[in-house]
Amino acid sequence: MKLAKYTKFREEKFGGVLFETRSERVYSLNPTAAAVVREIAPGIDEGQIVARLKSRYHDADGAIEREALAFLGEMRLKGLLED
Amino acid sequence: MTRAATDPAAAPQGSPPVETGSADLRAPLYVAWQITNECNLACLHCIEESGPGKAFRDELSEREVFAVLEQLMQSEVPYLSFSGGEPMVHGRFFEMVEYVCARGGQLKIETNGHFLSAEHCVRLARLGVKAVQVSLDGASRETFNRMRVRGDFDWALAGIRRLREAGVPVEINYSPTRFNVHEIGAAVDLAYQLGAYSFYSGRTMYTGNAVKTWRLLGASEEQYATFFATLHAKTEEYRGRMRVYFHELGLLEELRYRLQHPAALLIVLPNGLVKLINALPFVCGDFRRQSLSEIWANFRRGWQDPRVSRFIEELAADSRKTAALHQWVHL
Repeated sequence: MKLAKYTKFREEKFGGVLFETRSERVYSLNPTAAAVVREIAPGIDEGQIVARLKSRYHDADGAIEREALAFLGEMRLKGLLED
Repeated sequence: MTRAATDPAAAPQGSPPVETGSADLRAPLYVAWQITNECNLACLHCIEESGPGKAFRDELSEREVFAVLEQLMQSEVPYLSFSGGEPMVHGRFFEMVEYVCARGGQLKIETNGHFLSAEHCVRLARLGVKAVQVSLDGASRETFNRMRVRGDFDWALAGIRRLREAGVPVEINYSPTRFNVHEIGAAVDLAYQLGAYSFYSGRTMYTGNAVKTWRLLGASEEQYATFFATLHAKTEEYRGRMRVYFHELGLLEELRYRLQHPAALLIVLPNGLVKLINALPFVCGDFRRQSLSEIWANFRRGWQDPRVSRFIEELAADSRKTAALHQWVHL
């Protein structure tokens, strides 16, 4: 998957911003969301992103996995992701 | 994980700035750059008082232009627009477009549509501009040509069609006046027929050329009521097919809102000066003398300057203060 054509990501101290330039909507991201976006790359699916995050951060209660999958789902719904 | 998924609010002339907590950001998210004040047309309502021979004497040189662009790209400003005047008359227009697009910036061109030859449209498509916004202030030759002095309705339409043939996304911008306000419904329909994906409008501002022509332009509140009712209906009619976006608030309400929620948007003038917002006279930076980071810091401080809030409140007593927007006040 990758960010949709008109979606731009920028890192910020508070996490990051996603800017969908066709609708001109801006989404402010917390550090966890920004970490998810950093992992998005062509040829990488949701499962691989979660695996990468879990290898990097302690996720004893599965919160990172739940949040990451929910966030990726939300991004798809908003048209911010494409395959 | 996300917050502040905001609906952008359109500026009075229809260019939508980006809302987010600008105080938290390391750089602007949107830079709207009036790259020249020169224009082939002399529109009755032009807020920039552009026209033939109206280029500023001190517009940025080629070297300065690309130095600014380099800073914007280095700072990862994700979204830029080039406007004017007419941006396509700038001598380095295509090189500037290429510079931004090749570095991953998303770029919108705001044009009067009179330089959209087939060759230019194909070039814009190949360079990968995000969109070209064409001003179409009327759904008929009569109203368009009256508003856009020296302009030609049919030529603008042909340019839009060539953009679509080349595969360039198109937006339409519409400035209402007392003599074209009744055509808004037909204009939205026309935009859709032409293949636009977005349609913008809002109240025409009393500034620039409009100060001299207001008796011809100023629409009544009754006309605006019908105008906005039509736009509400068209929004529903085209939902999912074309985005109809308009800003219904008056300028005073808009500015009061911006005072609390500054958009992460810099307005760059042809001479490198940077304004807080188009609808205020305040200048918060100068790319000839300052870096982007200095200007961005000044921008954020500028919105707290008491002169800004005072000016906005004075507008409540005298809405015609906007006539002086080109008498810049340096913060």
